[in-house]
Amino acid sequence: MTAFSRLPAPMGLLIDRDQPLRFNFDGKPYQGFAGDSIASALAANGRWLLSRSFKYHRPRGPLTMAGQDANTLVQLPSEPNVLADLQPLAEGLTVTGQNFAGSLDNDRDALLGKFSKFMPVGFYYRSFYKPMGIWKVWEPIIRKKAGLGVLDLKFQPEYHDKAFLFVDLAVVGAGPAGLTAALHAANAGAKVLLIEQQAYLGGALAWARFDVAGQRADALRRELVDAVQGHPNIQILKEATCNAWFTDNFLPVIQGNRLYKVRAKQCIVASGAFDQPVVFRNNDLPGVMLASAAQRLIKLYAVKPGQRAVVLTGNDDGYLAALDLFEAGVDVAAVVDMRELPADAALVAALKKTGIPLHSGSTVYEALHAKGMRHVTGVDVRRIVGKGQVAGKGMQIDCDLLCMSAGYMPVYQLLCQAGGKLSYDDTQAAFALSGLPQNLGVAGSVNGRHDLDNLLREAAQVANAACASLGLQEAAAPARFAAEPRVNYDWPIFPHPDGKDFVDFDEDLQVRDIVNATRHGYRDVQLVKRFSTVGMGPSQGRHSALPTARLVAQATNRSVSETGVTTARPPFVAEKLAHVAGRGFDPYRQTAMHQRHVELGAKMMPAGVWQRPAYYGKPEEREACMQAEARHVREKVGLIDVSTLGGLDVRGPDAAELLNRLYTFAFAKQPVGRSRYALMTNEHGVVIDDGVCARFADQHFYVSATTSGVDRIYQQMLKWNAQWRLNVDITNVTAAMAAVNLAGPRARNVLRKLCTDVDLSAEDFPYLAVRQGTVAGIPARLLRVGFVGELGYEIHVPARYGEYLWDALMQAGAKDEIRPFGVETQRLLRLEKGHVIISQDTDGMTHPAEIDMGWAIARSKPFFVGKRSVEILEAQPLKRKLVGFVLPATSAKPLEGHLVLNGPDISGNVTSCEYSQTLGQIIGLAYCAFEQSAPGSTLPIRVEGGEVVQATVVKLPFFDPETQRQEL
Amino acid sequence: MKIMPCPLNGPRNISEFTYGGEFKQMPDPATCSDADWADYVFNSDNRAGLVVEWWMHNASSYWFLAERHTVTDEIVRTFDPKEIFTRRVDFAAPAQAREATV
Amino acid sequence: MAALQAQQFIERSPLYRQQADATLGRLGDSVIVAHYGEHDESPQLQRCALLDLTNLARVGFRGAAAAEYLLERGYQLPEAPNRALTQSDGSHVARLSQTEYLLLGSLRDAGARIAAEEAGWQFSETANYLLPRQDSHAWLLLTGAHIAEVMAKLCGVDLRPEAFPVGAVAQTSAARINVIVVNLPEGELPCFQILCDRASVAYFWDALLDAMAEFGGQPAGIDALL
Repeated sequence: MTAFSRLPAPMGLLIDRDQPLRFNFDGKPYQGFAGDSIASALAANGRWLLSRSFKYHRPRGPLTMAGQDANTLVQLPSEPNVLADLQPLAEGLTVTGQNFAGSLDNDRDALLGKFSKFMPVGFYYRSFYKPMGIWKVWEPIIRKKAGLGVLDLKFQPEYHDKAFLFVDLAVVGAGPAGLTAALHAANAGAKVLLIEQQAYLGGALAWARFDVAGQRADALRRELVDAVQGHPNIQILKEATCNAWFTDNFLPVIQGNRLYKVRAKQCIVASGAFDQPVVFRNNDLPGVMLASAAQRLIKLYAVKPGQRAVVLTGNDDGYLAALDLFEAGVDVAAVVDMRELPADAALVAALKKTGIPLHSGSTVYEALHAKGMRHVTGVDVRRIVGKGQVAGKGMQIDCDLLCMSAGYMPVYQLLCQAGGKLSYDDTQAAFALSGLPQNLGVAGSVNGRHDLDNLLREAAQVANAACASLGLQEAAAPARFAAEPRVNYDWPIFPHPDGKDFVDFDEDLQVRDIVNATRHGYRDVQLVKRFSTVGMGPSQGRHSALPTARLVAQATNRSVSETGVTTARPPFVAEKLAHVAGRGFDPYRQTAMHQRHVELGAKMMPAGVWQRPAYYGKPEEREACMQAEARHVREKVGLIDVSTLGGLDVRGPDAAELLNRLYTFAFAKQPVGRSRYALMTNEHGVVIDDGVCARFADQHFYVSATTSGVDRIYQQMLKWNAQWRLNVDITNVTAAMAAVNLAGPRARNVLRKLCTDVDLSAEDFPYLAVRQGTVAGIPARLLRVGFVGELGYEIHVPARYGEYLWDALMQAGAKDEIRPFGVETQRLLRLEKGHVIISQDTDGMTHPAEIDMGWAIARSKPFFVGKRSVEILEAQPLKRKLVGFVLPATSAKPLEGHLVLNGPDISGNVTSCEYSQTLGQIIGLAYCAFEQSAPGSTLPIRVEGGEVVQATVVKLPFFDPETQRQEL
Repeated sequence: MKIMPCPLNGPRNISEFTYGGEFKQMPDPATCSDADWADYVFNSDNRAGLVVEWWMHNASSYWFLAERHTVTDEIVRTFDPKEIFTRRVDFAAPAQAREATV
Repeated sequence: MAALQAQQFIERSPLYRQQADATLGRLGDSVIVAHYGEHDESPQLQRCALLDLTNLARVGFRGAAAAEYLLERGYQLPEAPNRALTQSDGSHVARLSQTEYLLLGSLRDAGARIAAEEAGWQFSETANYLLPRQDSHAWLLLTGAHIAEVMAKLCGVDLRPEAFPVGAVAQTSAARINVIVVNLPEGELPCFQILCDRASVAYFWDALLDAMAEFGGQPAGIDALL
């Protein structure tokens, strides 16, 4: 067959015969048309074998022609595992097969099928684990055999993103029910989003036959599609998959490179039903397909699915498919009906008119093939003599196409994710759904409506209910429905003694694999799934869930209602991580002076979401930069950007009272113009933050908090005051204030040049005092602080002036050789002073006594958060302490986290450690057992490589114990 | 994604909110036993049924209370804490400890 | 006269480096982008544009006495939280909670009235606390026919006109940072006034431009607004 042998129009709804496309499959050139899928174009060229099965490497061809099975997985140059029956054909496309040794047509690994009896269900779990270590031998071999496509490691990532989409009503599925529901609601004024997985609207109307004459579907499709397409209230997403249902109608819909996060006030699922295969020997051969697949090939792609066909059916739809095949010029050799009679007697007459032989009460027992199994060559038809049992002899019919129609499985995945419960209706041999949320409706064949009139009536009714909930319509009286024909044959499973009667094509599971799983004791269908891997492949049980449920029910003497089916979790179809990730959003914060640091060559480091200068210089010169910057601060003057430090304005009559309750210290009598250390514990008595509390006015405190802690601390303050109702306002001004610390013996000298309205003398503006004034003409808050242990001024200004302030200070300090220093240098300087950093030198258990902060607790206060816990903890003997330690400069340097030992036990860990040039030795902070904490004790620390160094505990601080320098 | 009805900002994706723990009454820290205090600090009821919880809307730093059913995950009601905390709370000095108003 | 440069002024938008190729105009004690290219940016504004108004005055007030204070000073206040009103002089007042207001300056007076509110406020016994919104927040203006679609790529709140009418305020998260979005058009031009953390604006500016790209969005200046 060539590309030019297509059926005449109107067949071929999707293809554009004026746009031929050339492509390659497995090294051979082919031609198709725009609108073709890869699979349809190959079928038009007579190429049916598309893939090799996962386990036995059996040849496989199209099964559904709707992207619902794994038989059409192919390899694109930079993408493995592409569904050939969904992927649109493109000019010049290069497609190859997957999962074979040698060639797709002659796969050496197909021999594996012969060994299937040695690879029973649970084979991986039960083999390869003895003797011990044998898995290491087998693993590389199995890894090579397992897995399908090949990753292109040179692939350039594409842009993927996400967007919210807000609608009144989302309709999932644009078949007759979805179209009708969307139209009804849109006419009532609802904003409707219509989501369709295929590239066309109409669903089964586009390819199925609903009446003997074959007229109704097309006329109805045109009418509905025309009305929907032009409707101003309807937005259509085609080739879009609604991949899950999440609470409150939150629907991830993937279209192209975008994931829409749809939020719908109401949702109607009209997702349709999956045509079900029949289980018999060799039911997986190329040329064996669902009746719907053959109809899709004819109507959508104008491809004749075969020359000589047999239709195996358990419902009336198989007869209608036979008529379609006949009209497409296929020689229909037989209709084999598993039932004794069709529901609609007119179908027998119509069939008789065409001369197609009918074999009632019969089934295909085995599909036949020539050597190589590349295509079906005929069928062995037998009388059905019992449930799953056939007569000993039958007849052979030659054919190159076998169509199956055993019934339907509702596309229930989204509905079950929404909490819907499946129950099996024995009279219809089908599953029904109940228990859906109020804002979720269901219509069409997913709800068991197969009669077209019933289905349209139901869609209108469900849309009306959605509109009523939206307040757009009065709720109408419930619709009446005609009796539904039975579409499911109750036992389309015919086990064969030689097997290859596949229940799950993805995982190559045969009837006996499922039955054996139950014999191993796995009675629960969920356990059968995990043991046998049924339903775990790419088609996620679309065709295997129903026969599995039936087989497990029979093998365990229960009803299908009792066994149920496995849980249908999101996603509905495979989704790429790129869709889940979307466009990455990684917020970062920069201070007003950020660009100046970059211009000065700073090595930037993250501090929470902030970007801060670690030091100024190249990463390979880290140590030298830090030591030089530190020496400069000790000897001359340095400038550090401390804008990221948390800042909270606490104002109002109860400002002092609030702080009294939140921090451990006492603030009621703190004088205006002074600052006080502020330590915060939580209700457990654990130290969670610290800062400096500056009182600028009787009712105005400016409280600092740690960079990473401020947002949480601010929120906790608000939560407490929502309960206490104090007359106070708390404002987080962190980003609003740019701040620097001007530190070093020459700091006053520098500041004098820019600040003339504040007396900077040590007498008038001593250590721990705070002032408001102007610096370089900018309104500023000035705080005398001592974090790095030198004369220092923190200067806080409105952020809009931050960069200018930096420039002014750098300029004013030029003569005093001012030099910027970074966060890592600051950490070294504060370590020399023995100052702890909360969350670096404290952990989730640290209480004040462990870090010698007893002095920061005002015990006579009636209350502070954590007070009771601190009291309880303080009454107990101290188990551990944070201590300062020193090591000679030549010693191996401990790193943060290295363990402190106490005899054979671990007694603590190092929290900070640096080499101090100022002191000429290694200094650090570490937790240790209380009995190790006295100054002079030896502290064994296990460092990199397992070596144990003997540090000496010293009294803190390491540097300037009289704190003379910062109080200058 | 679940929708949380915020008393200030209206219905929003629950990702806009931070859970603030179950609502519980603090025993008077000045007078309660160590065991009562430890129970308050460390234990949660984790009840199956209707519970009251603290929630905060992140963008507005607004704290409120929500009544939620822990079995169905239905949010029955959300409300401003002022409904429960109707007046200023003070703590007595430990010497003349008496019941705090909470 | 030599072209204006941001670094000549002590008050600077964090975005001024991104505006290096723009023509700047004077705005009070600082500068603002007048226009980028030489052509009229009006069609760009109608389609999809992003303006940096960070140097335009804004201030907040909060407290039990805030409403009374603002009424006395001649402001019309929104009736409910999360509503905003444009004042007769072109400045705007957004109400963010029962007791909190955000005042946005007008380009017509270069923000002078609102700047004066910030300068003139005195700490007093009454419960009316100034919030330094000009320093805590950057101010961006997103304009044109696609503002709701652009924001839908960043933000989980329904900002279509039917759900988020003129005068509505949303305090929410966009591109994973907190923002205040206010629907206040400039005449007929659809506009979202967006306030975000000042320290995050370099990040957010890029995130917005990226989201705007599919609609042909570009940065623009204020000339075409006036």
